[in-house]
Amino acid sequence: MKDIIAFWGYPHPSLIKKTKEEYKNAIWLDLDVDFNHPQASILPVNYCSIIKNIFNNAIFYKERIIKILAPVGRDKCDSAIFAVEILSDMGFNIETSAFEEKTYKKNNVYISESNLPLKKKVELITDNIISEKDYSNLEKSIPVAGFWGVPPNDLSILELFPNETHIFGWMRCVEQMAPFDIELEKFVNPNIKTVFFAQTFCAKNQLAKYLADKYNGLYIDIDGVSNNSTKAKIEAFLRLR
Amino acid sequence: MTLYFLDAGTTFSKILEVDDSGNKKYSVIKTSELKNLDINFNYSTGHSSNKNKTNYENEVVALSYGVKHLKNGVILDLGSRDAKWVQFKNGSFKDMDWNTNCASATGATIEMLLKFYGVDVQNLIPNKEKYPVTCGIFGLEKIMDDVSSGIAPEIAISKFITGVAFNAYNFTKRPNKIYLSGGFCENKCFVEALKFFVEVETLGRFILVDGLYNIYLEKFE
Repeated sequence: MKDIIAFWGYPHPSLIKKTKEEYKNAIWLDLDVDFNHPQASILPVNYCSIIKNIFNNAIFYKERIIKILAPVGRDKCDSAIFAVEILSDMGFNIETSAFEEKTYKKNNVYISESNLPLKKKVELITDNIISEKDYSNLEKSIPVAGFWGVPPNDLSILELFPNETHIFGWMRCVEQMAPFDIELEKFVNPNIKTVFFAQTFCAKNQLAKYLADKYNGLYIDIDGVSNNSTKAKIEAFLRLR
Repeated sequence: MTLYFLDAGTTFSKILEVDDSGNKKYSVIKTSELKNLDINFNYSTGHSSNKNKTNYENEVVALSYGVKHLKNGVILDLGSRDAKWVQFKNGSFKDMDWNTNCASATGATIEMLLKFYGVDVQNLIPNKEKYPVTCGIFGLEKIMDDVSSGIAPEIAISKFITGVAFNAYNFTKRPNKIYLSGGFCENKCFVEALKFFVEVETLGRFILVDGLYNIYLEKFE
């Protein structure tokens, strides 16, 4: 039985709205997340863990997936374009979207600047792509640290940060419904210690490293699961900076 | 009350005792002998410390607190199986890095080489030639090739050490001066090899336990 609407990244809100109306009882599944499903072995061994997750999850749920909503614009990455080609060739029903405008930009950063644990913030931002709840009631925190980047494959690194950590980069863009806004993606608070994260093999490493150098932050890239070395570096940076 | 601080490395453990009058006594024992000690350490750090204990301290943090008196500079701690450095500018933290996992170009590998070839570390003469040891395993291959072609193991190991020194220089982002901490301070060949690339000042192997003491003082006094 097909009952799942799968997606990656941030499908355009108009596409989400249309799909919700069309498939009112469908289960929504974020393919970016690592659910520890078997390796699909379609992509090269050394490749972005998030794109690997997309394939692992899609193949695991293939019999249940109605369609995949697939962002392929500047709001995602070039890998998504090729993923669409491969998954289409494998028989998946795919509908693409791309953010082309900034009219969706809102000035709300309620989750990004709240006092919730950082991992919870990340989960709320990504869940809210589909759930579209109002979080304006969240208490704002005075920042002591920053986390710039995308949701990491290994969410455990987020547990190293204090609750008063503000989110920057792509996730902040998503909360403001502007996932392709490069100016917003470059925005950080220069007065706080910020960790700049990118998934290994992702093009965003270019920006993460540059911004870390510019703002005296810590640049890290992680492939798959974080090792003790990276966790120790984050811990030391947050203590010393 | 005497205070005790422990830096439990992979091979050796460094201990600092501070008595009621503030007198310090440093000692080094083999880490394998730690289990014979009946001491409750006030703070501990190092690979062989119990990281789940509440008084465990991150090694880079311990290193940083151990060199608080250095307002500027890059401090490199090179040990048996890891390498870490911090940089301070005008008394504030500036930069850092830590390789905690790969020991192929650190002290343990050199110890094994010395034992394998029966070479005394005191007999090593610094050599400006170096093997590429970005990966120490490939460096080992070079040593074996050279020794089998007739080059003395002392010379081959010295080239390897110069490669390790060059690695350390690059790892710290090529500063003008390195303050060296850790067991490598006692390896003259390494210190002289590092001087081929950068000005070096040795700090000894007790910086981390000094740092733990400074952390204790900051918290309790």
